[in-house]
Amino acid sequence: MKKLLHVVPFLLVCVGFVLLFELPAYAYADPGTGLLAIQTLGSALVATGWYLRRRIRAIFSRTESSEEKLDHNPGGDARSDTHIP
Amino acid sequence: MIRASDCSIESESQLDAPATGDFTFRDPAGQLRLMETQALRLIRPPAVQETIDFLDSRLRSELERSGDLITTEIAEAGSNYFIQPGEFWLRHPLVEPISYPWEWTVVHWRAAAELTLRVADRAIDAGWILKDATPLNIVFDGPRPVLVDVLSFERRDPQSKVWLAYGQFVRTFLLPLLAKKLLSWPLQASLFARDGYEPRAIYQALRPWQRLHPDLLDIVTLATLFENRGSKTPAPHAAPTHSDPELITHILHKRIARLRKQLHNAAAAEPPSRWSAYPQSATHYQASDTDEKMQFVQQVLAQFRPSRVLDIGANTGAYSLAAARSNARVVSLDSDAAALEVLLQAAKHQNAPVTALVANIARPTPAAGWQNQEQMSLLQRLTGKFDLVLMLAVIHHLILREQLPLTHISELCASLTQRWLLLEWVPVSDPMYQEWLRGREALYGQLCEDDLLRAFGSHFSVAERTVLGNQRILLLLERTSPATADIPTSQAC
Repeated sequence: MKKLLHVVPFLLVCVGFVLLFELPAYAYADPGTGLLAIQTLGSALVATGWYLRRRIRAIFSRTESSEEKLDHNPGGDARSDTHIP
Repeated sequence: MIRASDCSIESESQLDAPATGDFTFRDPAGQLRLMETQALRLIRPPAVQETIDFLDSRLRSELERSGDLITTEIAEAGSNYFIQPGEFWLRHPLVEPISYPWEWTVVHWRAAAELTLRVADRAIDAGWILKDATPLNIVFDGPRPVLVDVLSFERRDPQSKVWLAYGQFVRTFLLPLLAKKLLSWPLQASLFARDGYEPRAIYQALRPWQRLHPDLLDIVTLATLFENRGSKTPAPHAAPTHSDPELITHILHKRIARLRKQLHNAAAAEPPSRWSAYPQSATHYQASDTDEKMQFVQQVLAQFRPSRVLDIGANTGAYSLAAARSNARVVSLDSDAAALEVLLQAAKHQNAPVTALVANIARPTPAAGWQNQEQMSLLQRLTGKFDLVLMLAVIHHLILREQLPLTHISELCASLTQRWLLLEWVPVSDPMYQEWLRGREALYGQLCEDDLLRAFGSHFSVAERTVLGNQRILLLLERTSPATADIPTSQAC
């Protein structure tokens, strides 16, 4: 749970970045403005769930000893996920 | 491996004249031209390689095998008079009649939307994506929806978590269904909304508490609020990021899953109508009358073996299904969507080749689109296409409710059928006739079978006649007049 509390602020920052950095869309069908923003927001939420799912799974699947080890290595084995938008 | 140069498609007759005057023009990747016997599609040079890649793909062959995608062949130069060397053309079988979303029931809409999502889901896994997602890309071959636009597929950017056609899917599929369910906006109104409804239009029509409904919160309420915020800036999308490809695929599949759930909740079946329960509730028909009528229809079907049947006023489709069982391809028209939904479910269950359209023959669907040439009128699609037209228990509707003269009805029937017309005459004494007479005895109270035969005599002669126990009369008429010149047909999707 302590890990979780550390992760959440980081994810919120990620979501903020996702919503901030936008480029023009090049589409054949009109992507809309609001509906495109909804996709961006939805992507961020799904990515958050994806990230947390791995984290939570990792937390619950660890033995006590490996949890202690994780405390000394905050990125854990899910470090590759830290670039999630 | 497909090569434009090594295809060996049989040459088409030079007489395969275009059924349409113009090409489609919205998609920059190509143009569609409907012919009498096939559909031809020109691919513009920038899109040729990607199209060939798609035709070569396993996704294409799987979608064709499952019946979700129209079959495609490469048309060689010279196979039609306007195909020039160096041009890349595809050809597809013609699905007739083409139906448009404004002629669909909710069951059609849902099936078309589910097909679009199913194809989108499979495309994502195969490294492709749908660049557009509109009901106009779907036609119904009997009760089965088919995606007919092979140019809808483009290579998926593995770094992009945006489905650019998402907005179009929401506007053209979900919002019309939600508007029908929550606001009673008819689906036929989609005739006037080529690209569907904007979220703002639905938002403004909803009551404040409806805007918080879980199925509407994102695609209507938040979309409208975000639109307000970004109305003065170009349409944005999220910058590509170097994300885990597995995560990108997961996001796209989740988006499709969310749309599928919203679709399920939006596509409410039609409530029962007077006509959808008519076969059970009609008191002016005894069981023996119904049996006798069905026997007569089946006898005609068995004797003359029509291959194309039009059932006008099909209701829940007992006679349409009988025609389908005799191996005819059937088009069933009715203005009551609830009744047609019953027919559609039965046709799906029996795998019967019945195309059911919500349409009123007295006020047929008009041509639509740019210069009224993008989508054909109902009569353009039906004229002269049938061996047998069924008009059972309909004529009193046309006389009393639509106030049409018998001669006009006769001319319409003669333009629709190549040979046979099976008509049920409802006498003035019939309870249904009396119900709609409504004080107009002087005008319609004296009409009799002789008036009908006189009006129809210029186009038809009586081949068979039988009187049912309830005094209704079944007439099998054979056309004697020469074929009516076809109404010039026009453009489809």
